[in-house]
Amino acid sequence: MKKERRILVVDDEPDNTSVFSMGLEDEGFVVDAFTDPQLALSAFKTGTYDLLILDIKMPIMNGFELYEKIKKLDNNINVCFLTAFGEGYHEEFRRKFPAPSSYVNFVRKPIRIDELVKKVNEIV
Amino acid sequence: MTEVLYGEDNTVDRLLHAFSNTKSTWNVCANSTGPSVSMGVEPIKRGMIDLKERGIRIRYATEITKENISYCKELMKIAEVRHLDGIKGGMAVSEKEYVAAAVMQEAKPVPHLIYSNVKEIVEHQQYMFETLWTKSIPVEQKIREIEEGVNLGITEIIQDSHRTKEVFIDTIRSATDEILLILPTANALLREERIGIIELLIEAAEKRNTQVKLLTPVNDLTEKTLQKLEQKTEGNKGNIEVRRVELESEIKSTIVVVDRKASLITELRDDSKDNIVDAIGLANYSTSKPTVLSYVSIFEKFWNQVELYEQLKNHDKLQKEFINIASHEMKTPTQAIIGYSELFQRHPEKKKQMIEAISRNAIRLQRLTNDILDVTRIESRTLNLDKEQFNLNDLITSIVEDYRSQIEKENGNVKLLYNKPKSNNLLIVEADRVRIAQAISNLLSNAIKFSPRENGIVSITAKQEKNDDDNNNNKTNNQKIIVSVKDNGEGIHPEIFPRLFTKFATKSSKGTGLGLFITKSIIEAHSGTISAENILDRERGATFTFTLPLSKKQQQHQEQQQQKQHSNIKKISNYQK
Repeated sequence: MKKERRILVVDDEPDNTSVFSMGLEDEGFVVDAFTDPQLALSAFKTGTYDLLILDIKMPIMNGFELYEKIKKLDNNINVCFLTAFGEGYHEEFRRKFPAPSSYVNFVRKPIRIDELVKKVNEIV
Repeated sequence: MTEVLYGEDNTVDRLLHAFSNTKSTWNVCANSTGPSVSMGVEPIKRGMIDLKERGIRIRYATEITKENISYCKELMKIAEVRHLDGIKGGMAVSEKEYVAAAVMQEAKPVPHLIYSNVKEIVEHQQYMFETLWTKSIPVEQKIREIEEGVNLGITEIIQDSHRTKEVFIDTIRSATDEILLILPTANALLREERIGIIELLIEAAEKRNTQVKLLTPVNDLTEKTLQKLEQKTEGNKGNIEVRRVELESEIKSTIVVVDRKASLITELRDDSKDNIVDAIGLANYSTSKPTVLSYVSIFEKFWNQVELYEQLKNHDKLQKEFINIASHEMKTPTQAIIGYSELFQRHPEKKKQMIEAISRNAIRLQRLTNDILDVTRIESRTLNLDKEQFNLNDLITSIVEDYRSQIEKENGNVKLLYNKPKSNNLLIVEADRVRIAQAISNLLSNAIKFSPRENGIVSITAKQEKNDDDNNNNKTNNQKIIVSVKDNGEGIHPEIFPRLFTKFATKSSKGTGLGLFITKSIIEAHSGTISAENILDRERGATFTFTLPLSKKQQQHQEQQQQKQHSNIKKISNYQK
């Protein structure tokens, strides 16, 4: 039996989480999606994931803050950041995490579902 | 040998003897009586003329006054004369000998004279003289001042850095009304802090109520110092103002101007030095009006330029922020539309749900586009109003109904109340109906959004009121309409409050933060006002209130009605009589 590939999606826009999880589930991924980063963090503590897909700009806890917390739990977790902003976030990321030990990718929103799936297949 | 001589004959003799011993220079430093002793006592005068004829250089520092001016002019024929304010006593020194007199009377030989030819004493006095000589100013300028009765002030080049430091401190200390200070580098600020200038500025502002303006470049180390200054400012009615220069400054001098009466310009020689004395070069101290006022003008130009630069930078920052947020806000609904349209084919069973989502996001995109266009119009001052006369009561009623049905549709639990005025015709305005509707909708949708999910209550109240803040004595249009929208949510966040009506002020993750900015602009374009307050008593929530002028026609109509009523009352009371 083929191994289950699990993805954790976090985006504060419910439409986005629903679109991303539907698109990825169609391709056979198992997706847990959250609009609340706190809930996502609890889910990460109990579950195992092959990839994180994180929005950056979120209220309460932004994507980088969430990543920092998750990194402490699993330093090798692969992550794909989704951002509707420009280049500025790359720099901020490099400042905060100078040498990530895992695979880190940035994807700009809006993204077509099949593009996202292609990207995810590359990583996982 | 050092001795004291008594008696006029003895003192004159010793002086003439000293003249004859002189080989190259005869230096005098004496109070304002000095010139009359030198020129008014015949043997001394002859002795001095003799010195001059022997080719001996005579330097004479004294205080030139109205009274001694003629003696001074005579003295100038044989000696280099310079002026020094407030000089005391009298002394003279040659290469080998030193004489001094404590008491001098006009045009009389001195009664006692101290004499010394001890090398150390003579050298010490020579040094003292040189110091005073550099401090003195050319006599021609002082004479002009006295004769023309104008205060020309003085201009002095200071070569000695130690003295510059003292003059700098004294100048700051002397200020009563104003201190203007430009520094060439951030290090200059640190050096001046070390000699106590910052404390002196604070003291001037606090104790003498002096206005202090400081223009300085900054670095990592200066911020603490500047904050110290600015903290003092808060408690002291803004007496200290600091502007930070970020550009490479072209000014390579410290410029200080006090009370528009004195200026000190100090060249920067070596910015790497920690000590001010080692860092500075020549200084120019002036109390001459044209010079001082020129520096005031230079100061003001720089001061304003820095402010303009700050404004420009801030504008640039806001512009970038606007583009960033606007693009983020546009991409979010676009993502949903793209995603759902792609998934739509694969999931026919979710067709209804997805079309709803697409349409919801399309509306959001449209709203955002409109907001951005409105902001652009407001900022380019091309927000045109299409005014007509209408009843605001009808407009509010219809908007409230729309929102009620929307709340119902979304299974919301917010109660929406409208407290209308008793009479129907009290709310006639001449305004742009679409824009006013937009303003009211913005306030209502905010109130609904920030009301609690359970037991949320939003109430809108409209009434007519006399305009009491009317200070233009304009009889017409002194009636205004007041509309307030109240919710029972958390209230306005204190962080947001001060910039509530500016662009991008939002605590909601969904808003663009443009709504209240647009609303305020719409109301103000109609000559109305808008304000917000938090409800602080037992109830919670926020109230937004805006005013609009009552239409002129309606106002006239109401006035006529009042007059009619008045005359009717008169008639009745006449009848009763």
